Amino acid sequence: MCCIWRYVFVVCSICLSGMVYSQKVEVMKHLPEQFDGYKVSEWLDYEGEALYDYINGGAELYLSYGLTGMTGCKYSGEGLPQITVEIYEMTSSANAFGVYTQSRDREEIEYGQGSQSFDDFVLFWKDRYYVIITSQKIMPESVKAIHHLASLVDRAIPKTGDKPAIVNVLPQKNLVPGGYLYFHHYIWINAYLFIADYNIINISSETDAVLAKYGDADARCYLLAVEYSDADTAKAACKQLKDKFAPESTDARSKLQLEDGTFFMTWTQEKLLYAIFNGNSSGQVEELYRLTVKN
Amino acid sequence: MKTVTRRELLKKTAIMAAGGAILLNRPVCTWAIDGSASSRVVLIRNQQLYAGGDTPDAAVCEQMIDEAVCRLTGYKTPAEAWASIIKPSDTVGIKTNQWNGLPTPPEVNETLKARVLTVGVPEDRVSVDDRGVKQNPVFRDATALINTRPMRTHAWSGVGTLLKNYIMFAEKPSDYHEDSCSVLGSLQELPMVKGKTRLHILVMFTPQFHHVAPSKFSEEYSWKYNGLLAGFDPVAVDSTGLRIIEAKRREYFKEDRPLNPPAKHIAAADTRYHLGTSDPSKIELIKLGWDENSYV
Repeated sequence: MCCIWRYVFVVCSICLSGMVYSQKVEVMKHLPEQFDGYKVSEWLDYEGEALYDYINGGAELYLSYGLTGMTGCKYSGEGLPQITVEIYEMTSSANAFGVYTQSRDREEIEYGQGSQSFDDFVLFWKDRYYVIITSQKIMPESVKAIHHLASLVDRAIPKTGDKPAIVNVLPQKNLVPGGYLYFHHYIWINAYLFIADYNIINISSETDAVLAKYGDADARCYLLAVEYSDADTAKAACKQLKDKFAPESTDARSKLQLEDGTFFMTWTQEKLLYAIFNGNSSGQVEELYRLTVKN
Repeated sequence: MKTVTRRELLKKTAIMAAGGAILLNRPVCTWAIDGSASSRVVLIRNQQLYAGGDTPDAAVCEQMIDEAVCRLTGYKTPAEAWASIIKPSDTVGIKTNQWNGLPTPPEVNETLKARVLTVGVPEDRVSVDDRGVKQNPVFRDATALINTRPMRTHAWSGVGTLLKNYIMFAEKPSDYHEDSCSVLGSLQELPMVKGKTRLHILVMFTPQFHHVAPSKFSEEYSWKYNGLLAGFDPVAVDSTGLRIIEAKRREYFKEDRPLNPPAKHIAAADTRYHLGTSDPSKIELIKLGWDENSYV
């Protein structure tokens, strides 16, 4: 019996890896070997930790989001700045979206399901893919070229994917456009403000987390939401946070005004832990709490 | 390792009644070792560095390095200053950085090599290298190292620093990625490195204060600061560079925008590995040259 299951597993693995490979190849097939004075000078193909060979420690960002592989190529042309196309394939569309939220500063949807462009780069996410197209220098030809390539890659990815469900807990009122980050590695908890230099609430690859900015820059507060496997785990993490941030609070939601005058609050709701940091007033924190609970 | 939370910093800040919000996104300097003598760091800037275009002016670069080394050592002439750092009998590895987007400028590498040769070290006992240091015979026999690289934000360590620049001496660099590279200070214990570094130069010609992708240098997020930092204490030099990067981020983003992830390895190099001082109040910062928007 055991042998049969092993056989099924091996066959499935081969089929799955074949599917993934063919999808990657399918996307790559849409990249031209040459166009507008540019020609492919190098093909890129890295899987998992082999990405260290390409970007050293920078690979950890993608690995923390479940990278399966990266393909792409470099284009060169006489008198033209080099252009690099990198197509990162993640384990899920949620993870592709997560990597995207690490980079984008504003929300655009020119390409894929969310994108951001400057004159020297375009980045976007679509389905399980996170795509970056960059040019070494800015020239009119290179600006045109990176947008041309972005369109091609966008079209080559046939379907869209879902954002992680946890982003739906974020109230929309006063949410800064493009101002939230999805993650499941504790390193990213400090993305918008320093919270702790260690894994204070047991974030892991099994937890989904979102950190969001609310309000204007001069009155900014932050909402953190983390989904655990069960309510008890969420409560345990919430206790750890309370013990470190508001041990003296008698409030049921650990609301407390801190030494810098800002307000902190944390609570759980089923499997979810919530925390508000840097609230400007008790009223601001209460309103964000109310809107979050309503969600 | 000692851990720290925002609340602990707030309490500490309230007791100190100073520093306020600036400290909050910068835990690096809040638990520095006590009782150590201040570390000297020289910041030199020159407005003419890029007067000729996009390439640094080699003569200006040489002048900046010479002046910085003189002030750092206390000697009046570059010849005296360099002779106090390198001996003719030394074998010298100049650890540079070749990252495609923002490498150590060739003008810096060439100046450093020229000064080492001027001291009297034979040419076959000086080498400039980055990724090949482990196999490089000069580095393998080195009695002295000079550490130089540009500063930029980094997707996993917060910032690329002098402390991080020695990761190429490691057998397996990814072994030092744990906890967003907080263990980088331990690189200084590697046999090829331990006790050999004579000078640290952090290039701040066009630092990168933010990034969109780990593999990409972004013109949008770099600026002509036209400076370099020199010192004997890598933690103090990196810590000073970090302050400049953070100040630029505040100016650009118009809000406090902490590095993501925070540059824990600089603090850890101070508190865990005792390699130097990250606390600005214990760093003797000497500023030379162009001072506009120096941020420190």
